[in-house]
Amino acid sequence: MSAPHGARHATGAVGVDAIGELAVGGQVPDFELLDHAGNQRQLSQLVGGDPTVLHFYRGWWCPKEQAFFRRLVALQEDAEVAYSRIVSVSVDPPEVNAAFRAGLGARWTFLSDPDRAVQTQLRLRETTDTLNNPYVPAVVVISPDLRIHAAHNGYWYWGRPTHDELVRHLRDISRDLRPDWEAPTP
Amino acid sequence: MNRCWLALVEGPAKGADAAARAIATDGHPAGTLAAWRRRARPVREALRVDERLIDPDGSAAWISLVLAPSGVRLPFDDPAVQQARRQVLLHPFPAAVSTLLRDDSHFEGAITVARSPTERRRLREDPFARIFPSRLLSVESGILGAAPPPTGPTIERYGSGNPWPWDRFG
Repeated sequence: MSAPHGARHATGAVGVDAIGELAVGGQVPDFELLDHAGNQRQLSQLVGGDPTVLHFYRGWWCPKEQAFFRRLVALQEDAEVAYSRIVSVSVDPPEVNAAFRAGLGARWTFLSDPDRAVQTQLRLRETTDTLNNPYVPAVVVISPDLRIHAAHNGYWYWGRPTHDELVRHLRDISRDLRPDWEAPTP
Repeated sequence: MNRCWLALVEGPAKGADAAARAIATDGHPAGTLAAWRRRARPVREALRVDERLIDPDGSAAWISLVLAPSGVRLPFDDPAVQQARRQVLLHPFPAAVSTLLRDDSHFEGAITVARSPTERRRLREDPFARIFPSRLLSVESGILGAAPPPTGPTIERYGSGNPWPWDRFG
């Protein structure tokens, strides 16, 4: 909970400037992890050419995560037709992620980091939970080059992005990304 | 994405870039499953397929081949087709899947590829089989590869001429 965000308060921008190694304007490392089905997946391949919500969460057992996932499940109803993607990352193994995903009705990719290699690389270990050593809850919204457009520190629940804030981030990236954003007219 | 066509034909598949014998569940020959990488449609019954499914070095597989009955057409954006795509993303992903298209606006069928016994059992629950009839076939080596699951949750095509789940514009 030490991310600097004074400048953002001054401008009214949502989110934080940085959490762990994830800083707005920087790039997420192109890490590889197993997905919920046990396939090795590379972040850049998962992101493809679309804006992406990259979500790090504690685990299936956390009530705050369960609440936030309901928000993301609602978002997927928009995202499924908006050429935008979602990727969720935790330290849970693939079979746990697969069961959690199915129970949620989530139709996006879950990644597993049981060795905590990416967690260490990104400095996203939640140090106050020495039992589970989970990810500190964080959401970054990234463009296809893995550049971070927005970051949210979800350690305290109200730090997490709302549906509207996520839409705003995805819209901003899409506007820059799609050459025909201004619809062609006669 | 390059144009890639798929058809189940009787007899040899003329000019195909990949082809293999298909066998019905009762053991009877079901024809030749063939693929062509070219712009023009190679044979009358050919449908566009996600090119990532086609691999001349691919091993034998089981498939669920869903095809629209003759004379029947359904918009690709029909809610039933949308829901089938959601179901594909929700459930364990097979070795590969592709919708099949003849033009930019209609759903003409789908192919789901299975390799493991578990995937094979799931072919009987192919979401696309709720739309049009499915044929369960075994296909010899030489045509079918594997494609990674889509990231999700996108159910739209990346350009109306491209089969789902191909996931890039251009």
